[in-house]
Amino acid sequence: MAGDGLWYKDAVIYELHVRGFYDSDGNGAGEFRGLTLKLDYLSDLGVNALWLLPFYPSPLRDDGYDISDYTNIHPAYGTLDDFRMFLDESHRRGIRVITELVLNHTSDQHPWFQQARSSRENPRRDWYVWSDSVERYKQARIIFTDTELSNWAWDPVSKSYYWHRFFSHQPDLNFDNPAVREAAWEVMKFWFEMGVDGLRLDAVPYLVEREGTSCENLPETHDVLKYLRRRADETFSEKMFLAEANQWPRDVRQYFGDGDECHMAFHFPLMPRMFMAIRLEDRKPIVDIFQQTPEIPATCQWGIFLRNHDELTLEMVTDEERDYMYDEFARDTRAKLNLGIRRRLAPLMEGDRRRVELMNGLLMSMPGTPILYYGDEIGMGDNIYLGDRNGVRTPMQWNGGWNAGFSNADPEQLYSPIISNPVYGYQAVNVESQRRYDHSLLSWTKRLIRLRKSSRVFSRGTMEILKPQNHRVLAYIREFGNERVLVVSNLSSQAQAAELDLKRWKGSIPIEMFGGNLFPPIGDLPYLLTLGPYQFYWFRLRRL
Amino acid sequence: MKNLVLQSLNQTLGRFYSMLEQFLPHLLAMLIIVLAGWLVAIILKIIARRLFALARVNVLSEGSGITQILKKADLPPPLDLLTRLVFWVVWIAFILVGLDTLGIPELHLQISRLFLFLPQIFVALIVLFIGLLAANFFSRAALLAAVNANLPSARLVSGFVRFIIVLLTIAMALEQLALAQRTVLITFTIAFGAIMLSLAIAFGIGGRVVAQQMLERVFPSGEAQKQREEKEKAEEIPPL
Amino acid sequence: MAETSAISEDFLRQLTAVGEVDILVGVPTFNNRDTIERVLSAVQVGLTKYFHRERCVLINPDGGSTDGTPDIFKNASVEDFGMLLTSNPLRTFHRVSAPYHGIPGKETALRTLFTAADLLRAKACAIFSPDSLSITPEWVDSLIRPVYREEYDFVAPVYQRQKFDGLLARGLISPVVASLYGRRVHEPVGSELGLSGRLACHFLESNVWEEDLTTFGLEIWMTTTAIVNQFRLGESFLGPKIHAAKQFGQDVAGTVRQVVGALFRCLDLHQDFWKRREGASEALPLFGFEYKVALEPLRIGKKGVLDTFRSQVEQLVPILESILTPQTLLHLRNVAQLADRDFHYPDELWVKTIYEFAAAHHRSVINRDHLLQALPPLYRGWVGSFILENQKTDAARMDQRIEALGQEFDRWKSYLTDRWEAGTGGER
Repeated sequence: MAGDGLWYKDAVIYELHVRGFYDSDGNGAGEFRGLTLKLDYLSDLGVNALWLLPFYPSPLRDDGYDISDYTNIHPAYGTLDDFRMFLDESHRRGIRVITELVLNHTSDQHPWFQQARSSRENPRRDWYVWSDSVERYKQARIIFTDTELSNWAWDPVSKSYYWHRFFSHQPDLNFDNPAVREAAWEVMKFWFEMGVDGLRLDAVPYLVEREGTSCENLPETHDVLKYLRRRADETFSEKMFLAEANQWPRDVRQYFGDGDECHMAFHFPLMPRMFMAIRLEDRKPIVDIFQQTPEIPATCQWGIFLRNHDELTLEMVTDEERDYMYDEFARDTRAKLNLGIRRRLAPLMEGDRRRVELMNGLLMSMPGTPILYYGDEIGMGDNIYLGDRNGVRTPMQWNGGWNAGFSNADPEQLYSPIISNPVYGYQAVNVESQRRYDHSLLSWTKRLIRLRKSSRVFSRGTMEILKPQNHRVLAYIREFGNERVLVVSNLSSQAQAAELDLKRWKGSIPIEMFGGNLFPPIGDLPYLLTLGPYQFYWFRLRRL
Repeated sequence: MKNLVLQSLNQTLGRFYSMLEQFLPHLLAMLIIVLAGWLVAIILKIIARRLFALARVNVLSEGSGITQILKKADLPPPLDLLTRLVFWVVWIAFILVGLDTLGIPELHLQISRLFLFLPQIFVALIVLFIGLLAANFFSRAALLAAVNANLPSARLVSGFVRFIIVLLTIAMALEQLALAQRTVLITFTIAFGAIMLSLAIAFGIGGRVVAQQMLERVFPSGEAQKQREEKEKAEEIPPL
Repeated sequence: MAETSAISEDFLRQLTAVGEVDILVGVPTFNNRDTIERVLSAVQVGLTKYFHRERCVLINPDGGSTDGTPDIFKNASVEDFGMLLTSNPLRTFHRVSAPYHGIPGKETALRTLFTAADLLRAKACAIFSPDSLSITPEWVDSLIRPVYREEYDFVAPVYQRQKFDGLLARGLISPVVASLYGRRVHEPVGSELGLSGRLACHFLESNVWEEDLTTFGLEIWMTTTAIVNQFRLGESFLGPKIHAAKQFGQDVAGTVRQVVGALFRCLDLHQDFWKRREGASEALPLFGFEYKVALEPLRIGKKGVLDTFRSQVEQLVPILESILTPQTLLHLRNVAQLADRDFHYPDELWVKTIYEFAAAHHRSVINRDHLLQALPPLYRGWVGSFILENQKTDAARMDQRIEALGQEFDRWKSYLTDRWEAGTGGER
């Protein structure tokens, strides 16, 4: 596991919810003990980092993102000891662990807030943002437009307004207060010391507020992050910050600082454009977004993903693009949520294995660290009849037996119904059945991950987009040191031919990476490739 | 004496009879040939009429303007003309052949000369015909071009073109017949020279204005420029 | 055979890269440096604005321009109009340059476009003239939407005209098409049009390409062929049409000859259709938002027009004799005798003139080109008379006036049929 400390660059991250993975004690929801039992599965899959959704004590009014105690485990998921055991078992298998840290706000049930609201004189009073009128910070937008009318909420106890960017039960911490920063660092230290390898920093753009601004991406916010990073670097090594900032790449770029802020940040705009490109059968959206993506410091890395626990967010697209996405991917309006589409990968691809493979192939070959969402490796479906984003957070489908092998509890007891429709139901889609066959999506995904990890060219290489005349074909060269990989993908549902200008690599022999076969050497003429529907090739260009 | 007279009478009569005996079959043969020729000609005429009708000769001739020429010359329409031509050519040929059967040497000589001369007549006729057609076509083209170019005396130009072409045609036809070659050449030269001279004089006297206009067009004075612009404006209604 | 000969290898290569498209837009050019840029931007903005989801291709068949038109085409790009657009197009925007050799002409250009439409399986096509000064992005929508969304096959433009503009189209072609083909197409010779992919294929498969239909002839042929073959026709209001300066220099006589010649050829081709057709003509469904702007009136010089007409008629008598009936010719000569203030070329005489010309053309009474050359002087006379008559007429009344003329053409339709048969009957 050692190396240059850039483990997050070479990682393949697997995102999961402890509650939904495996229930070992039969109470209807997963816990750390259950997760620990399934580490072999994850290790076999080939992922080398886990990202766990929040598991802290919480009133669970926002699925755990409303934390009421930063340094403990929600009793439903087990104890701190369970967690320690899980960490050790993961590390033993070479799997790093990334946890959530919600710094921007706490639950209104958190003792800090309870103290702060108790009286205006309380020493914790200044840990939150208070106001006597709602006129402050008027330029800040409201994020959850469906539920909230204002960023200020009235506190009847202390008779004033408190600031919240998200739900009104999530008061924002006041990071102008050095005591708050210190407290935040203490929380980080607690988890790092326990052995956590990385922290996903939730909602980072909103840490600090300033009058007359949108209160997003402020320099003061970056100062807070730089402070925390400095403290972390002083105390630990090989720890990682992953920033969640749903912003345009040029704005996200600031969260990398000069390599002294966050190690990683999500590339939000890329994801919807990958879906758009495959629907439009045109590489333009992907090429465009890469052109708009700035260079980042050498020690930093983008986090890229197809699907996650949230809706397929369409905040970072134009109105026309959003309309298009809704029309193409959310014909059933139930699938829409806020500014996005709450569906899993397989249903979005209409269950088309070739498209699922192509999307994963793109994800694994593009620059950035890929993040898989649990269940997508077997093509799990979703349940849009459940509220909010719960439709994509249903229990993992382990086998075709009782409760899909997820739990021994009564089905009524489960935290969420299991998918049981004829197409994506657990009897058709589950780990057990797919493990048996070499051609299953699961087996294929394993091979893909193995291939991805076989070379650092994917995780660290540069990317150069080629422009064959056929715009249905996306082609790029990844290059790292002496290694070169050519990726050619057909985004269209029909067979395509493409002529690639590979003159610069004349004399090289393309070796198809999945099968290891040699292709004709590159000459002076444009290199002609034909690709079946949604087909893609990864070629290692070998110079002889 | 008496015997001598009788004898010579007898001899003469005998000769006449023998001549008659010799000539009558020839005559009969001739008559038969002429009659048969007439029948053949009529049959051919009927066949020809059918064929020409099938070939839409009327339409063709109307398009090329032959009908108009013929009408002007008070001749029947081309279909009639052609069938009549076929009839007469065939019958005359038969008549000539019939005459030849009479075995009269002088006639024989004349007829064979006529037959020798026939191709030349035919070619001359064709030349004349084509020439008239061309004259018609080009004079019409000239008229239209002149009218569309808004020249003042379009009819004159067209008539002149027709005249020159007809003149040339006649000359060529006569040349073909090899008749009075010298006369034709001289006549033609004189006529052509006269026209050119008259043209030169006419242009010299009448062309001053035109020459002035042309110069003005090249080096426009303010007034002329304005007029011209106005004239061009008049054309400015786009038809589409 | 038709497909391969119209397409160069490079063009084919470009088409292959484009692949299947929804919308194909063609802008044929030949030395249009001054105007092409405006047209291209309007077309590209229009496509991006109204069809940003569709797969679009813009094709420029160029007849070997020497003024750099193809370079302007190649270098123009949608991104240049960022200011005009609220967003970028979703898809790759394809621009294909297709130079062709040989005689520059609409024929080759359109054939190239139709071949491309066939190969790319375009659902809707539009063709724009490279020298429209008044083109707006809305034209793209107006011409393509009826085809793409409403399944029309042929969408002719409707321009707002200055009252004396385009009299050949409005006073001759359009009424003849309406009377004989039964569809009132305002602009049967419009230089912009929209058509469906299947109609493009139909055109491509016809043998008209071997014939010699000139620049303006193709539009008439396309319009009438679409009617005859029962395709769905519509019209779209585009707004004012302002010609580029280049067109002003165009020779009226030549245009009349070409356009009317093409019309007569079509009458020949389609005689079985229009002779059998009965009943009143129908208006086409009109798309687009109709609006009026004040147009600068055309300057018309009338001086000398009538004098010219008089002398030309007299000089043409020997030719007109073989085209027109004696009565019509007499009437015409009488009209030519009228003094300036009384001068009037009656509608009935105009209609008979045209129909007799058409019949004479059909029967080839004289050389067809000569016949057509004899028409422009008469056209000018009619135009002169029409302008004199309508000098004070306003735009609305003008439409009624044109409609009345159209009814006259309807009324005399059987006259044409009789004259048409007269020639062929005489043979037997």
